[in-house]
Amino acid sequence: MPVKWLMHFQPNQGTTLTSQVMAEACAVAESFPGVSRDGRWRSSMTFYRAVPRDQSLPAPSDLPRDLIGISLHDLPNEYLFVMRSQRLILRAHSSVQTVMDKLQSYKGRFFINFEGLQYKWGDFKLRIGKCLYNPNEALRGIVMEVEYLPLSSIDKSQRVMEEFYEIWREAVASKLLAGQFINTEVNFVEYGLGDSYTPQHTAVLYGMCVVQVIASSNKNQ
Amino acid sequence: MECVVQGIIETLHVEALEILLVGLCGAPKQRIRVHELCLKSGPNLVSSEVRLLCDLAKTTPSWTIRHVGGAMRGAGADQLSVLVRPIAESKASSTALRFFYGIGYKLDHEVLKTGFAFQFQNRGANLTVSVTSTNRMPRLHATDDAVPITPGIHLVEITAPAAPENYTEVASAIASFCEYLSPLLHLSKPGISTGIVPTAASAAASLMSSGGGIKIL
Repeated sequence: MPVKWLMHFQPNQGTTLTSQVMAEACAVAESFPGVSRDGRWRSSMTFYRAVPRDQSLPAPSDLPRDLIGISLHDLPNEYLFVMRSQRLILRAHSSVQTVMDKLQSYKGRFFINFEGLQYKWGDFKLRIGKCLYNPNEALRGIVMEVEYLPLSSIDKSQRVMEEFYEIWREAVASKLLAGQFINTEVNFVEYGLGDSYTPQHTAVLYGMCVVQVIASSNKNQ
Repeated sequence: MECVVQGIIETLHVEALEILLVGLCGAPKQRIRVHELCLKSGPNLVSSEVRLLCDLAKTTPSWTIRHVGGAMRGAGADQLSVLVRPIAESKASSTALRFFYGIGYKLDHEVLKTGFAFQFQNRGANLTVSVTSTNRMPRLHATDDAVPITPGIHLVEITAPAAPENYTEVASAIASFCEYLSPLLHLSKPGISTGIVPTAASAAASLMSSGGGIKIL
């Protein structure tokens, strides 16, 4: 599976994130020579909370508060769970959501959609998207997923991804966007993941990225 | 949703049953070696139960998460000779057990099921006939050291996927298929024991001597 990086837009201090940033980021991508628009994309994330046996009490502290479920745009038949505190990922068929519904021990409390435009640029695929609360569609962030098609080794692709990141940062700076894109750094080894890229790596990236997006959004409100 | 019946057969007649099933099916058996872990939610969580099935028959073990719902009840269900129940299943990665421990589930018990299964099509329904020995492990997860819980007895189970709009037809398909096995064993709803069939020994002897000259479905 091709390697991906995931970035989120960090607005300059004192500025508010608006949909205009999404339009400006897409304009940056569309300014690259030879780039072509390649449709739309959408991933979604559910934040789960434990359902205590005695619902008059708050959820016990020994149960995880950071369980998230992710449905990725390029794997419609699969579903992944991430628990950052335990560095744990579960990859399953999408029917696992039905199992969780039947168990009733965890329920989705709030939901985030990542959706936007996809571009093809040589060996790269770029996906720029809004990070939206569901269902009121409040904008919480802008993310960009960068996929390098020829390589599935994280180590071997490091240099080319860093070069792309520099190109992208310079392009964004030159267009005077009110902020910058920050790459999501993850120690995959802590999650038991190897050098060969998998959907589990993507799930971990989204799990880390959304924490930073929400923190950034709360700071700038 | 699935329809299911169960019955027991003496282990010494399993070979005869296999001959009968080979003749009926016309296809090779599938080996069963499944490590089944039953997990229950901890005392702080809403009460629930989930099963993790690790298929050890293949070179690379594969995991399935399975939730079994309560049996369908009511006059319609009572009239059926099979049990109908909701089922939810999902293939999962090998981190499934750690995942459920991580969200507050505890291991209640574990067994190793060994045996074989055949797949049949009968009246449009996809039937799986499995013949298994259920084994307990002397130490946690020690599947290599498992020993039969009921030596000398195997469990025979027929299951078929069903939907709300066709479960009565699937139930009929299972019931009619049970007729083929009736010389060797009787099958009924789980929990309703019919014991060992008196004709089993003579039927088994007949099958062993005929060596599989049975009409194929």
